[in-house]
Amino acid sequence: MISLTHVTKLYGSVIGVNDVTVELGSGAYGLLGPNGAGKTTFLGLVTGQLRPSIGQVRVFGERPFFNARVLRRIGYCPASDLTERSATPREWVRYLVQLSGFTPAAALKRANSTLEQVGLGEAAGRPLSTLSKGMRQRAKLAGAIAHDPDLLVLDEPFDGLDPVARHELVSLVRTWARSRSLLVASHLLHEVEALQAGLAVILGGRLVASGTVHEIRDLIDTLPSEVRVVSTAPRRLAELACGCPEAEAVRFVGDDTFVVDTRAPRLLAERIGEAAIGEGILVLELIPGDRSLEGIFGRLVQLHRGVTP
Amino acid sequence: MTGQRVSPKREPGESPPLPALAAIVAVARFQIDRLLTPPRLALAAIGVIFPTAVLLAAARARGASLEHDLGAILLYALVPEAVCMLGLLVTISPAVADELERGTWVHVAVRPGGRRALLLGTWLAAVLWTGAVALSGLLLALLTGVISNGWSLLGPFAILVCLSCIGRAALFSLPAVIVPKRSLVASVGVALVVEYLAGLIPAVVNQLTISLRLHTLLVRWMGWRRSITPELQLLIDDRPPWAQVTAVFILAAAFLAIAVAILEWRQFPPSEES
Repeated sequence: MISLTHVTKLYGSVIGVNDVTVELGSGAYGLLGPNGAGKTTFLGLVTGQLRPSIGQVRVFGERPFFNARVLRRIGYCPASDLTERSATPREWVRYLVQLSGFTPAAALKRANSTLEQVGLGEAAGRPLSTLSKGMRQRAKLAGAIAHDPDLLVLDEPFDGLDPVARHELVSLVRTWARSRSLLVASHLLHEVEALQAGLAVILGGRLVASGTVHEIRDLIDTLPSEVRVVSTAPRRLAELACGCPEAEAVRFVGDDTFVVDTRAPRLLAERIGEAAIGEGILVLELIPGDRSLEGIFGRLVQLHRGVTP
Repeated sequence: MTGQRVSPKREPGESPPLPALAAIVAVARFQIDRLLTPPRLALAAIGVIFPTAVLLAAARARGASLEHDLGAILLYALVPEAVCMLGLLVTISPAVADELERGTWVHVAVRPGGRRALLLGTWLAAVLWTGAVALSGLLLALLTGVISNGWSLLGPFAILVCLSCIGRAALFSLPAVIVPKRSLVASVGVALVVEYLAGLIPAVVNQLTISLRLHTLLVRWMGWRRSITPELQLLIDDRPPWAQVTAVFILAAAFLAIAVAILEWRQFPPSEES
């Protein structure tokens, strides 16, 4: 569905994305990365807003830039807030659907049904300026899906939303993505995980990892991590930790604190805990390296920057 | 992809895709809706009243209604020139900048043919809006009877207003797409340098201006061709009125085609889109 081959995008001397090669088949994908990582540039290339400086971009097998056939099949919800003030959600969505080639009557019908679908039925006639950010996000989403695209591209769709609105929008997008393809750029990793999407991690314009959440987790399992221990008997506990097969190195970072390098932090933490109970040693802190998606992302970022544990 | 599509692309009985013209009309309608705000309406009201106010002040200074020819010259300077020019500057110049500022550019640009529809729709809205204001100003000026035998000017001046709007809106669409963030300043520069300076140079360059066509039509339709001085004769074109009208349409089409081509090829980095 989406294919980038050695794609580099330059803005003058600034690199947007750098030699990215990736194949994304049909399905749901999350594009993860911190601000300025190149996510929006990546999406701009996929949605035909930008031409690659080097390399080749293909969406549905065709070059997306200036290609109506491809654009007709894409729905895009950008990150920037919708500051269109005077229009109502109904007028705005109808307008966008008309631009996608529908008659005014058909566009109005689709606008109404899509606004109902995203939960904006009652607010469809209110000016956008009077709506909350969450409601404007829904209006943006309605504009992106009302023409029934095959690929929905969302750029930071959950940014600035309260938890309830965020949860509702995640559910909405997940439902929508069951039958169509989805590409979501976000730095709110747990929402991407909630979308049950495959992952592509981008940093400094480079794609540093891609695969399913499990594949990324497997990848991270091969990467060094650590367990941090604070105890009233740190030297004895460090001796016990050294006896664990998962421990690779031990170093003291304070009088009562030591860190064990490992590739299996959770398992090692369990073993240290059991050893401490067996010896009657008081453990004040026992913190395994973060294996949550945030932790994985943080580790990949660290590795990419050449930071060693 | 997993599972089956929830709904088909188009439901049974739903209309087929519209031609590009309908998308242009949709943009024009949306842009006119945007113009229906109290500040814009107030500005339009000033545009309607302004020519009449100036003509009345001139008549009062002279102590009588204005002679036909003098009235025609003043009316030309006020309506097809001043009102049209200012109206177009504020409606077509921000065609792209306004979308970037509102965060709506990318929503439109990602639609098939969206960029083209945006520019041509905004051009159409600018022509309709400014044309309506200028024609209302013209009617109001003639209704006051401040110009002797003024109603004879209605037909020719209505055409001049339409041509001015069509041609100059197309001209100002070029700076709108080339330098969107400085489009208003650039359009003023284009108006001064291209329309008023180059338009008054008796050389090939003035053939590319809307001003030459409008001056020529004014002189022809007012019957001033033989009465103006040889120096002024150099500032008008020898070809007949139909050729001038055709030239305005050709120039407008050329300006718009270039502007559309530029806009279709333009890329705005994400930092410029908000």
